[in-house]
Amino acid sequence: MDSLDASRWLDDHGDYLFRVARRQLHSDELAEDAVQETLLAALTARARYAGDASTRTWLTAILKHKIVDCIRRQVREVELPHDADGEEDVDALFRQDGHWAEPIRPWGNPQAEAELGQLRRALDDCADRLKPLMAQVFSLREAAGMETEEICKELGITPTNCWVLLHRARLFMRQCLELSGFSGAGA
Amino acid sequence: MKWMPTCRDTTELVSRAMDERLAFGERLAMRMHLAICRNCSRFAEQVQEMRRLFRIETGDETGAGLSDEARHRIETELQKKLES
Repeated sequence: MDSLDASRWLDDHGDYLFRVARRQLHSDELAEDAVQETLLAALTARARYAGDASTRTWLTAILKHKIVDCIRRQVREVELPHDADGEEDVDALFRQDGHWAEPIRPWGNPQAEAELGQLRRALDDCADRLKPLMAQVFSLREAAGMETEEICKELGITPTNCWVLLHRARLFMRQCLELSGFSGAGA
Repeated sequence: MKWMPTCRDTTELVSRAMDERLAFGERLAMRMHLAICRNCSRFAEQVQEMRRLFRIETGDETGAGLSDEARHRIETELQKKLES
């Protein structure tokens, strides 16, 4: 029975959990590890699982903790981009006097479902191209909707560091979307 | 913060305003700049639009799932744990 449960988790929810993790962690490898850790933890905790939530909801809740754990490990291992990381790239966007180097063009207003889907993929692709830690913090904030205070507390980084990361991520994401042809889409 | 922030300063304020409440002076400086700068007001709209798009539920049914190797590896680990 137990063994049946566990292999069904992988069959029924493995791909879903992987996609959720992949979108937050921006790495196949890290996402696979998070899924594995989630299912192992679920196995340990299954006796305590009251069964009032659906299995998927329960597994996803465990996964969210594993994702934050994983990012926390990344923060410890990777040098935090204090000022050096990405600073030059930001410099390139502005002139010496602090004005935009290039004018910001207006975006169209995509309404159609297909266009939205395309945009969503472009967003994910652009986020994958950010530096890993920047992408992870950005996704916790924008996709998962976590408050910065919570992100700082969970990851043990300062608010300033968080704002620097988010500011740079937003600058690069906006530019990446424009370069990937989003500018003027649907207009 | 200077009396009139540059575009670069303003993008920082616009970004931080999405994450916390700015101080009164900062908010004022940001609004003054946004009122006269088309580039920065577009930036502000676009980063808000990005947030909206990120939070649209996709159902997570699109995109690749676990690779066969990963699935096999995880299955082995689960089996090990069950037998232990």
